[in-house]
Amino acid sequence: MKRRLIAALVVSLVLSASLLAAEKAAKLLGDESDGSRAHPIHRIPLFSESEKGEKGPQIDPDDPLAMPFSTRFTCGECHTYGAISKGWHFNSLDGNVPAGRPGEPWLYFNSKLGIQLPLSYRAWPGVHRPEQFGLSLAEFTKIFARHMPGGGPGEATPSDARARAEQYVSGKLEANCLACHNAHPGQDQGGADGYAIQVSKTNFRWAAAASCEFADVSGSVTDAGPTYDPFMPDETEEKAPRVSYDKKAFDAKGNVFMEIVRESPKQRCYFCHSDLFCGENDEKTEKWCADEDIHMTAGLTCVDCHRNGLDHNIVRGYEGETADSANPMAATTSCRGCHLGDENGNRETGGRLGAPVPLHKGIPTVHFERLTCTACHSGPWPTDKPVLAKTSRAHRLGTINVPKEPRVLPHVWAPVFVKEAVADPNGTAKIGPHKLVWPAFWGTVDANDCVAPVDLATVTKVVGTVLKDVPVVATGDWSELKEEQIGQVLKALGESGQQKPVYITGGMLFELNAAGAVTSRADHPAAAPYAWALAHNVRPAAQSLGVGKCTVCHSTNSAFFFGQVAVDSPVASVSSLTKTQYEFQKASHARTWFFAFSFLFRPWFKVVAIGATAVIGIVLLLYGLKALGAVARVLSEQE
Amino acid sequence: MFQTVAILALLVTFIGIALHWVLTPTGGPRCPLSGAVHVFSLLLIEQKSSLLGALKKLCYLVAMVCFLVLAFTGFWPTLVHGEHISGFLMYIHATFAPVFALCLAILAITWAGSNRFSFADAPWLTRLLRRVTRLRVPVDDRPWRCSLAVYKLAFWAILFLALPLVLSIVVSMFHLLGTDWQYFTLAVHRWISLVFAIAVIVHTYLAVRLRMACQE
Repeated sequence: MKRRLIAALVVSLVLSASLLAAEKAAKLLGDESDGSRAHPIHRIPLFSESEKGEKGPQIDPDDPLAMPFSTRFTCGECHTYGAISKGWHFNSLDGNVPAGRPGEPWLYFNSKLGIQLPLSYRAWPGVHRPEQFGLSLAEFTKIFARHMPGGGPGEATPSDARARAEQYVSGKLEANCLACHNAHPGQDQGGADGYAIQVSKTNFRWAAAASCEFADVSGSVTDAGPTYDPFMPDETEEKAPRVSYDKKAFDAKGNVFMEIVRESPKQRCYFCHSDLFCGENDEKTEKWCADEDIHMTAGLTCVDCHRNGLDHNIVRGYEGETADSANPMAATTSCRGCHLGDENGNRETGGRLGAPVPLHKGIPTVHFERLTCTACHSGPWPTDKPVLAKTSRAHRLGTINVPKEPRVLPHVWAPVFVKEAVADPNGTAKIGPHKLVWPAFWGTVDANDCVAPVDLATVTKVVGTVLKDVPVVATGDWSELKEEQIGQVLKALGESGQQKPVYITGGMLFELNAAGAVTSRADHPAAAPYAWALAHNVRPAAQSLGVGKCTVCHSTNSAFFFGQVAVDSPVASVSSLTKTQYEFQKASHARTWFFAFSFLFRPWFKVVAIGATAVIGIVLLLYGLKALGAVARVLSEQE
Repeated sequence: MFQTVAILALLVTFIGIALHWVLTPTGGPRCPLSGAVHVFSLLLIEQKSSLLGALKKLCYLVAMVCFLVLAFTGFWPTLVHGEHISGFLMYIHATFAPVFALCLAILAITWAGSNRFSFADAPWLTRLLRRVTRLRVPVDDRPWRCSLAVYKLAFWAILFLALPLVLSIVVSMFHLLGTDWQYFTLAVHRWISLVFAIAVIVHTYLAVRLRMACQE
């Protein structure tokens, strides 16, 4: 028995290794370009997934019980799906992929429960893994994959048998190639029956088909009966998901012309990567009153800089990315790479794509060592108080019924000038503009003073019961919490079996002392704000910080150093607090203020220094002439 | 590279001065402590000085203090930590720099006359010139005072170097130079400051030596 087991194991290992090698070796038709700059025509057959997870039959639009087409088996006919689905947009679950610079987390929020929690499968400091918060792969996908191009958690096989059974019905959320590469204006990511809605209905298998212009999906997995089997559909199951294809889209051979482009159009990227900044007095940077990124205005698209090959290991575009990424373009398609040359000082790569090589006249070189390019060139112009920002992924922009009030949760503040953590130990931490959230969640603290969030089900049950009478604010803002309510919740959590319950909000940790009273600790690491770099929109050079005068930043009231960042919290006593920008730059008040103050006298320094050198120069000239006279006198005696 | 060269150059300068001090002794206290007090006292303003003399000495002392501060704040982070000057050290450096430039300008006006070269400063040169060119170059037969000649040379070197030293930084504060030139002016400032510092050290040492020789 044991021998048989070992033999079977060896055979399966050899088989899987050879399969892997075969997949690596055998390039499919679309894996490598033949060099033509033209877009390949995609008049292709559509295939569904079979019950066994293999390639199913070709889609017949006349079949009333047709299955949704599978991108894995349709696109995978010519493109190695296995390689693509390991790309940056899909590989968050893979612990072997370097997390790289902290990026935008998925923000779970609930105004009434006082939660605003940054989640991610990537190992970014300050985020929590969804399973720590009690979210299964399917739950996480259902909530957040509306703004994902599929794959990743949506495609992973759960270890739990019940979850696997549920996945059999809902299907896997395959990488949706169309989300990025379909140039047809009918590609529907956020519409009434589009991709986002299908994901929220757990129609994972149907989501990609629903997003395209020639298929329509009705019904939902959640509404289907308990006996529903997608591979044995029953016509009487009216509420079950069903896809109907536009027959006109199919040619005589049953092929469909798809408007697939290699370079994703910017509108496709914008669905997940849009920002809206809400200033004071409800002033928003709406499209009609705001300029686009200068690169777009210049005629570039997102993928001109954010490039990838078949492996979809897309360039994120930050300095030092070469340490995290194997993409050979990582060094040359950052700001520095295009405008100045790559990180190794290869100037010949500078000026690519017509990028102007900046002279930075009068900017002391220390700025390039301490600041990211984006510090001066990107994001909204800094104001005395950073504004609330909305992002596609945090506020589900572009989907239906999005609340448009400026103060709707989650509260993301920008621009906050933060000193970044450096991946390279020899590198210098640079200051750059960031978006920032203040985590708020119910958690437990262990013996090492580490805080972990209490799972969502417990929070919903216990906290929801205690705070049931707290009114919901119509604007989507926080429902105000009082310290006594925090105390009641902490007590209830303790009674429900949570060890040492705490509440994190606004940079503070609330807990119960031995007497049962609420106490707070400031600046607990678990309560630290989570910030991620903001790179777009890039402003034109003439609108850079410091253009014309240094005092834009170097003055005692500059927004860059002395802007007041709101501390965000449902607790009134905390939300009235602010932090100054220099605190995020790890600078001291005295040093920052003194340096800014010195710029008042700087013109006089220049006058004195120039005057002194003029005097010294005149003395040197005078005595030089005298010396020349002496030489001339000696020479004249010869005559 | 600058770090290594600067450390070596300063070491050579100090070792040279120490050797010179030992090999060519002058009068004065033999005890190191009282010797140091004596040397320090030579730099102080004499009570018999005229008002102008006192002002010149005061200006010199302020310039010396400024030089020490500038040298410490400028060289310490670079030579010890291998970093660029930053933070409070930079603020102090930038604050003392214009004062130093001002003092240097005053010293240039008030000391230039007494530091003019004469034929007596290099009799060997005049003899050589007379022999080679057959010109009627006046020759001084007094023994050559090398220290005085080097002292004067150091003075003029200080003034000459002060121009690019100050201007290299001032010009970078205007919207004139791009990044490459900014790096160039910074390098100019750094390297000239090294030569300038050596010139000041030599000048100060010789000033003390000459004062001690006069007291004998």
